[in-house]
Amino acid sequence: MFDYILRRLGYTLITLFAVATILFVIFRMLPGDPTLQVISPAMDEAVQTRMKEAFGLNDPMWKQYLIYLKNLVTLEWGRSFVSAQRVTDILAYRFWNTLLLMAAGMCLTLVLGIGMGIVMAWRRNGPLDVCGTVVGLVFQATPPFITGLLLLIVLSYRLGIFPTGGMYPAGQRPDGLIDLLLMPGFWQRIVLPTITVGAYYIATPMLIMRDSMLEVLGSDFIELAKAKGLAPSTVMFRHAARNALLGVVTLAGIMVGFAVGGQVVVESLFSWPGMGQLMVESAASHDYPVAQGTFLMLAILVIGLNFLTDVAYSYLDPRIKISATGIG
Amino acid sequence: MTTKAVLEVRDLNVRYNTSAGPIHAVSEVSFDVFGDEVFGIAGESGCGKSTLIRALLRLLSPNGICESAVISFKGHDLRTMPDREFRKDILWREISLVPQSAMNSLNPVYRVGAQIVEAIRAHRRCTRATARERVAELFDVVGLQADLMDSYPHEFSGGMRQRAMIAMALALDPALIIMDEPTTGLDVLVQERILRRIRKIRDAIASSIILITHDIAVIAEMCDRIAVMYGGRFMEQARSLDLFESPHHPYTLGLKNAFPSIHAVGAELISIPGFPPGLIGPQTSCPFEPRCPFRIERCATETPQPVTITEQHEIRCFRSAEAESLRELAKSKATWHCSN
Ligand SMILES: Nc1ncnc2c1ncn2[C@@H]1O[C@H](COP(=O)(O)OP(=O)(O)OP(=O)(O)O)[C@@H](O)[C@H]1O
Ligand code: SF4
Ligand SMILES: [Mg+2]
Repeated sequence: MFDYILRRLGYTLITLFAVATILFVIFRMLPGDPTLQVISPAMDEAVQTRMKEAFGLNDPMWKQYLIYLKNLVTLEWGRSFVSAQRVTDILAYRFWNTLLLMAAGMCLTLVLGIGMGIVMAWRRNGPLDVCGTVVGLVFQATPPFITGLLLLIVLSYRLGIFPTGGMYPAGQRPDGLIDLLLMPGFWQRIVLPTITVGAYYIATPMLIMRDSMLEVLGSDFIELAKAKGLAPSTVMFRHAARNALLGVVTLAGIMVGFAVGGQVVVESLFSWPGMGQLMVESAASHDYPVAQGTFLMLAILVIGLNFLTDVAYSYLDPRIKISATGIG
Repeated sequence: MTTKAVLEVRDLNVRYNTSAGPIHAVSEVSFDVFGDEVFGIAGESGCGKSTLIRALLRLLSPNGICESAVISFKGHDLRTMPDREFRKDILWREISLVPQSAMNSLNPVYRVGAQIVEAIRAHRRCTRATARERVAELFDVVGLQADLMDSYPHEFSGGMRQRAMIAMALALDPALIIMDEPTTGLDVLVQERILRRIRKIRDAIASSIILITHDIAVIAEMCDRIAVMYGGRFMEQARSLDLFESPHHPYTLGLKNAFPSIHAVGAELISIPGFPPGLIGPQTSCPFEPRCPFRIERCATETPQPVTITEQHEIRCFRSAEAESLRELAKSKATWHCSN
C-alpha cells in the first residue's frame, strides 16, 4: 500500500507541474495586456521600461518560464496589480474560506447522498427511492445560482431567517480560523451556500451509491452474510455499504473537480470571500498575478483532494495492494 | 444413524414470479434428514437444488414464493417462526451453509478469520480472542495454517477459500450443514482433496449434512441416502446402496449411464439426449416425459405421484413395477439415442 501511495504522489506532482505549465501558457496568450493595468501608457517611457523590467516582462519566454517555475516553488507568487498585496497573502486568507465552504458542501453531499443511496437500495422501489431520484435529478438540473437565489429570496429577504451573504457579520473581522469557527454569525452564513452546493451535487453520489448497493446486494457474499444470521442492518452497512462505497470514493475525486465550478458561482452569489469570488474579481480587473495564483491554488486543491481520495480508496480496498505490486 | 429426523420437509413448493410467467422451480418435495447422516441431492443444473436450499434458509429472492405443508427442524416449525428468532437461533447456529459459489462468498474487504469470528460472535457471547482461538482450531480441522486467518480472501486460492468456507460452516457445531456443490469451480485434484477432507470431517462430527451435487459419482460414496431431482421434483429417493444396486427411475438409470462408475468399470458412457424442462407454467405431465425412452401415453397428461418400492425407497414413475426390465433396456445406447 505504501508503494501505491508513493506512486500516486508521483503522479500528483507530475499533474501539478503540467497544470502550472498550462497556466503559464494560457496567461501569456490572454487578451488584454496586463501591463496596461499598472503601467499607464501616459507614463514616461523610461518609467514604463523600468516597471516592465521590474515585472520581468521583457525577458525571453523560456527565461520567464524558468523564473516562473522557480517563483512557484519558492512561493514568490508576485503582488497584486491592484492592491500591491502579496498574492500568497491574499490566497492564504481566501484558501481557508473556500476550503471551509467546500468541505461543508462536500460533507453534506456525500453524507446525505450516500445515506440516501443506501436507504433507497434497501427499500428499492419504495416511496423514498422514487422521490429521492426525482428530487435529486431536479436539483441537479437546476443551476446553483437559481437554487441559491430562491433560497436567498425566501429564507433571507422574505423570512429573514438567514443573513444574505458574507462569511461573518460586518465589522467583526475574526482573528484566525478558531475565532471564525466560534462565531455564531459564521454558522448562520454558511448554511445557505452549503445547501445550494449540496443540492446541486447530491444526485450523483446518491444514484451511484444506490446502483452500486443494488449490484453488491446481488453478490454471493451478501447471501452468505444473511445465511450467517446477521442482523439486516449489519448485512446492509458492514457488508453491502462498505463494498458499495468503493464506487463512490472513486467518484468523489472527480466530483471535487466539478465542485470548483459550483463554488465560483455560489461564492459570488453569497459574497463568500473565497477563491471562487477572487477568481471572478481578478479576471474582471485583469489582476493577472492574482488570477494566476487563484487558478493555481484551485488546481492544487482539486489535485490534492484527488490524491486523498486515492489514499482513502487504497485504505478501503485491501485488493489495491496487488495492483501496486502488479502491472501499474 | 439415529432414527429421529432432524429436518422434516413435506410438500415444499417454490415458484418464481417472472414476466414470462411463474417458474415452478421446486414442486412437491418431501424428505427427512436424520441425525448424523449425509443426505445427498443430485440433479442437473437448473433442476432446483439451490432454490430448495434457499427456501429452507429464507434466502429466496423477493420474487420467489415458498409454500409447504411441513418444515420441521428439531421439533420447531420453521414455517411460522418469526424472522428474528429464525435468524438468531436457527441460521448458522443450527443450520449452516457452504454455498455453491464458495469462491465468491467471502467479503473481499474483510480478513478471512474476521469473517468467521463475525459468524461466531453473532450467535455466541464470547470475546474476540476466544473466537479467534476457535478459528485457529477450525483452520486446523480443514487443513489450513492458523496464521492464514489474517489474510484477505484475494490472497487465498480457490481451494483455500473453499476450506475456509467449510471451517466457517463448522464453527458453531450446527445440527445440520448444507453443502451446495462444495467442489464446483475447483480443478479435479483440488476437488478430490476437498472431498477427502469433507469425508474425514463427516466421520468426526455429529452434524447431519445435506450434500448437493450434479455429479452422482461424488454422492455415491459420501451419502447415506440420496434424492435424485429433476425439473423441481424428487424423482427417486433411496438409501445410497439401494439407489446404486437397484435404481428404479428412468432418469436415475440415465444419470448412472452418463457418469463413469467405479462399480461398472468399462461400461459405456451414455448421455441423455434433450434438455431439462423449462418449468414455466403448471406441470401436467411427468417432467421427464420429453426425454424418457420409456414414456407411455399417460405420462404426457398426468404427473406421477410417489410410489414406495421398499422401505425408504420411493420413485415418481408410472412404470415403477417394470423396473427390472427397464434397467436392462437402459444399458443399451440404442434405447436412449434412436427411439425418439
Ligand atoms: N430469482 C430467480 N428468478 C427467476 N427464476 C429463477 C431465480 N432463481 C433461479 N431461477 C430458476 O429456477 C430454476 C432452478 O434454479 P436453481 O438455481 O435452484 O438450480 P440448481 O439446481 O441449483 O442449478 P445449478 O446446478 O446450476 O446450481 C432455474 O430454472 C433457474 O433459472
Ligand atoms: S412417468 Fe413416464 S415419462 Fe416419467 S419417467 Fe416414468 S415412464 Fe418416463
Ligand atoms: Mg445451484
